[in-house]
Amino acid sequence: MGFLTVLKKMKQKEKEMRILILGLDNAGKTTILKRFNGEPIDTISPTLGFNIKTLEHRGFKLNMWDVGGQKSLRSYWRNYFECTDGLIWVVDSADKRRLEDCMKELNSLLLEERLAGSTLLIFANKQDLPGAYNINQLRDILELDKIKTHHWKIISCSAVTGENLLNGVDWLINDIAARIFTLD
Amino acid sequence: MSVVREKHETIPRPLPAPENNKVIRPEDVLRLPKIADGYLCDPDANVYDIDFTRFKIRDLESGAVLFEIAKPVNIDASAEVNSESEESIDPNSGATVEFTVGSRPVNRFRMIERHFFRDKLLKTFDFEFGFCIPYSRNTCEHIYEFPTLPQELVNEMIAAPFETRSDSFYFVDDCLIMHNKADYAYNGGVQT
Repeated sequence: MGFLTVLKKMKQKEKEMRILILGLDNAGKTTILKRFNGEPIDTISPTLGFNIKTLEHRGFKLNMWDVGGQKSLRSYWRNYFECTDGLIWVVDSADKRRLEDCMKELNSLLLEERLAGSTLLIFANKQDLPGAYNINQLRDILELDKIKTHHWKIISCSAVTGENLLNGVDWLINDIAARIFTLD
Repeated sequence: MSVVREKHETIPRPLPAPENNKVIRPEDVLRLPKIADGYLCDPDANVYDIDFTRFKIRDLESGAVLFEIAKPVNIDASAEVNSESEESIDPNSGATVEFTVGSRPVNRFRMIERHFFRDKLLKTFDFEFGFCIPYSRNTCEHIYEFPTLPQELVNEMIAAPFETRSDSFYFVDDCLIMHNKADYAYNGGVQT
């Protein structure tokens, strides 16, 4: 508890948050990050490692970590859990074939002790694609209502059009801020 | 810190065998009161094959790329390390580095950058990348937060090109494995 208090104090000074972006390969994690950050999104290739962005948003310093989602990389995800305040789980809402896989990977993350205190935002990405599931459908298929261990929310978005990205990140930041910056 | 002293223009020569050298820790470089004399580690210390492959600065307002240098693949890694570069001050830019990692996993990869004008410390930049996946290609963008400097100092810096210098130290598990230097000439941000 003492250590946690010190940690909270340290973070409070800089209003710093660590946000981890995960999801299956081709879900759109890097595109979301780049779009959010005002960068061109026309030449994005599969992430074979990580992309970090440190940026200021609403007076907070956000450290955003996007780690590649290919199957061979997923066993390395655990190396990035430490000190995570917010987890963004990105779903390709049109990739119906892999939703089962998507649910399994998400559920195993939620069992991780080092992610226990983090807020979970689920981005139902690629809403611009015809045939994409909406958030109500995904909520059922991914059995999100069973999640009791984390503050969570699912938000539909499109990294290509930019729709709802800001809303999602703002919800995440508000939830984290309410937990870690206002406890004294 | 008399590990080695050498001219900037010369290609760095290997230091004495590593077992004769004290391991350099982050706290050692954070204590340095001025730019390091020469290089504090041997190019061979980079046993993880960490290779910087791209450096880019973009304007955050317009998104325009202000400066970009990418390393062509398949060239000798040691040839490009420790080069001089010219940059201009722009407080609203984002700096991206891209690097690749060799066959070994890298733990607690940390960068400490120290910017000096003559013997005055302008800024220390300290960031931990943490773990890096074997054979990975990684990027990191930081918003350039150069401190606001008094106009008098800025004028001095403009008048004395290449006396603003930086040391970039890279650590794995708190051991120095890479050291690069850069010299800067400023144009004072004259708008046209």
